[in-house]
Amino acid sequence: MKDLLRAALDAATDAGAAYADARGAEIETESLSVRGPMVEGLDRSSSSGFGVRVLVDGAWGFASTATVTTEEAARVARLAVEVGRASAQVAIAPVELAPEPIHVDSWESPYDKDPFEVSVEDKVGVLTAATEEMAGVRDIRIARGTLDLLRQNTWFISSEGSDIHQRVLQTGAGIEAMAVDGNDVQVRSYPGSFRGHYANAGYELVEEMNLAAHAARTAEEAAALLRAPECPSTETTVVLDGHQVMLQVHESVGHPTELDRVLGMEAAFAGTSFVGIPDLGELRYGSDLVNITSDPTIAGGLGSFAYDDEGVEGQRVDLVKEGILVGFQSSRETAAAMGAERSNGTMRAEGWENFPLIRMANINLLPGEGSLEDLFADVDNGLFLSTNRSWSIDDKRKNFQFQCEVAWEIKKGKLGKMLKNPRYTGITPVFWASCDAIAGPEEWEMHGTPNCGKGQPGQTMRVGHGTSPARFRNVNTGVAQ
Amino acid sequence: MTDLRRNVPISPGAVRAAAGAVLELAGADAVEVVVTSSLIGLTRFARSRIIQNTVRNDVRAYVRVVDGDRVAVAATNQLGSDQMLRAGGRALEAARATPPDPDFPGLPSPSRVGQADGIFRWDETTAGASPARRAEAVQAILRASGSDNAAGVFETSAHCYSVINSLGVECFDAYTRCVTTCLVDDGAATGWGEASSHAIEAVDVERAARTAAGKASRGHDPVEAEPGTYEVILEPAASAMLMEYLSYMGMGAKQVVDGESFLASRSGERVASDEITVADDVFDDHSVGIGFDLEGVPKKAVTVIDHGRAVGPVTDLRTAPKLGLAPTGHYSGSSEFGPYASNVVLRPGDESPEELMAGVDDGFLITRFHYVNVLDRPSTLLTGMTRDGIFRIRGGEIAEPVNNFRFSQSVLEALGATSAVGNDATAFAPDYGSFGSNVAPSLRVGAFNFASTTTH
Repeated sequence: MKDLLRAALDAATDAGAAYADARGAEIETESLSVRGPMVEGLDRSSSSGFGVRVLVDGAWGFASTATVTTEEAARVARLAVEVGRASAQVAIAPVELAPEPIHVDSWESPYDKDPFEVSVEDKVGVLTAATEEMAGVRDIRIARGTLDLLRQNTWFISSEGSDIHQRVLQTGAGIEAMAVDGNDVQVRSYPGSFRGHYANAGYELVEEMNLAAHAARTAEEAAALLRAPECPSTETTVVLDGHQVMLQVHESVGHPTELDRVLGMEAAFAGTSFVGIPDLGELRYGSDLVNITSDPTIAGGLGSFAYDDEGVEGQRVDLVKEGILVGFQSSRETAAAMGAERSNGTMRAEGWENFPLIRMANINLLPGEGSLEDLFADVDNGLFLSTNRSWSIDDKRKNFQFQCEVAWEIKKGKLGKMLKNPRYTGITPVFWASCDAIAGPEEWEMHGTPNCGKGQPGQTMRVGHGTSPARFRNVNTGVAQ
Repeated sequence: MTDLRRNVPISPGAVRAAAGAVLELAGADAVEVVVTSSLIGLTRFARSRIIQNTVRNDVRAYVRVVDGDRVAVAATNQLGSDQMLRAGGRALEAARATPPDPDFPGLPSPSRVGQADGIFRWDETTAGASPARRAEAVQAILRASGSDNAAGVFETSAHCYSVINSLGVECFDAYTRCVTTCLVDDGAATGWGEASSHAIEAVDVERAARTAAGKASRGHDPVEAEPGTYEVILEPAASAMLMEYLSYMGMGAKQVVDGESFLASRSGERVASDEITVADDVFDDHSVGIGFDLEGVPKKAVTVIDHGRAVGPVTDLRTAPKLGLAPTGHYSGSSEFGPYASNVVLRPGDESPEELMAGVDDGFLITRFHYVNVLDRPSTLLTGMTRDGIFRIRGGEIAEPVNNFRFSQSVLEALGATSAVGNDATAFAPDYGSFGSNVAPSLRVGAFNFASTTTH
């Protein structure tokens, strides 16, 4: 692959590119879904190809192909230059890139047990042990288990001299029980919704989940939700579990602090942001307890890497410090546009075929103090919400609404009865300002969401979020219908 | 057959060559090869300049291998004989490692399902559009918008789909698509316009830009309106979004079998007003899609809601027998998800957009929705935001702009409260991905629930 990328780079610079990078990838996936005792789907895939990104006359061009030959490398590189020249016809100011040291390096995400080497029989067995138990619980219509694997080799070279090889192995698994009674459909999942928990890890992650041990509780809670009362519409104190805090961070902090959104580059599709460059160091984003970082250097997250997809070294940076907005996620182009000395390395592309965009790495809410029970202890009357089920937020990332799988009442510091269809809504800075407790390191976990969509053409990115449960006051729940 | 000439992403001959390497895979009882290929040129602009400009060329071959009543799929994007055989081998190995699947209906054969024809909604000019041609279109959009802060896309693409199996099924289809979107942000408000067609010449980019600029200029100084239930006019982009989610939530037979779909408990019942007829119809003049499903079964036009009554879901070979229905050719490629209605058409009515609005005494005009998500499938309850143009209507005319709302609304209840359907049927590419289309006109809905508001 590297020889091919080198040929592409040479062809691009020969054709007039002032800057060029070439990125090739080989990707292998396996996706297994079981339902009760049956295999519902077993799909394996392999994909390889490369893309060439160029700056010509101050404007971007990009072309990619699945045909991995030297001849095609030269053709695609020349096409990228042609595309860049077309872009330059509609340019106002030339793109400038923040400087980045040259990196010649290789990196591999750590794991203990290669999941691709585990037999299909064993993987099916792990899932069906859980799904058959769930299927035996009354009112359970669907008992599903899933396992998803990805191995990606990526090579990146640039006309500035960087030469980087990264190899990532990601594993995800989970179980889900759906209970149905007439028109009432209730779901519980473990360890998280939307196909479970994902990490930069090997098969040891699946073994640690111990899916079968959680099957009965998961199914029984789904069935119990059919008979649970509706979550009331009220203003109250809510405690969110770590999984829901993950989505809350993702939607209301991660996306609004992407510098391409802030600068209006995503305006037409995903939207912009309620924060602007002048807010840096000024805007109160949340309470003093709220500290949020972008950190690809931490091990195990879906956003853990050594270099982003434009060859910038991964860095831990503060986004919100003691409640104040102090940073954005940036690219070389956007960093230069806001006058920063260096990109903080968050440009990533799905596969080999896409132009990299600013994407979250691991956006982490730093832990506070105490246990989950400590969060409950200071609540006379409130709600504990667990496991995201639905999400929506406006085009400036301000007005949001989330739905969780389940809630429990909190009465005088103790959990009470189960409630179904819990929803809450809020305005981003008001909500984070109402955060009065974040659980401590013992409750902090790295979560992964493998389905973050952004960009045109649409790209799906895998991102990580380290979170603890957290408590918020005066939250509107239930939501008027 | 349409002359596909030089711009087709992959030729039928190349597909046959790739499939031929693996159709007689040793040890397999049957083999199916689905080949998809696309050539997509997409030019993105923001702040009135091109910010991303890409040309992507990909191909995928999905090899489904049957061993008795066991089945598995392996995919590759390298179509050489060795790679195709390797994919077949990986699929066979995986199939043999799985438990038997008694519901597997077997691969289709021509004697069982017939031989599908392609639709070939194909335009050679669109397929061959150059980067310079797309840049010219963006320049035209920016000129027409009159704005120094416009954003959107101009995209031209060509797509091929083919299914070949060892039982004799062989079908090939191809389509092109051109999509433009334009958002104008003039600092005080945003406005939106878009257009799409299978043919580049039919896409009026300047009209889309002028629409966006006009909505932005009318959106200055929005007032805050109280959340509540109001009569609304949903412009085509908004009603098409509701149709896309209605399909996702419950038009497929598997969702009916599982009890998640509104069709599970309300089939045959009135679920919408008389004015509403919803179908999956790839043959509609506005639709963009292919004439067969992803296992080669010919696609039928299926009416899902007929003048307000729930009629039936789309099906595939696996799910149709469970409901006593015939297969309609809607296999999605995933047994986990089940059949999918990818060409939803909300049939148009007789009223012009102006006539629709004239019938509203006090309500809102909604341009489009943002970040819609499902709250409850059986009741088709959605939430999402309005954006890029929401206006108060008083006495049948636009009165003033208002801040955006969050809605919390059942699609079926909105269709049940629909008093008139517009004659302005418009085609949209799906919100994500490139497969299929949604076609919808404007709607006048008597009661639409806004749960909260935002500050812009």
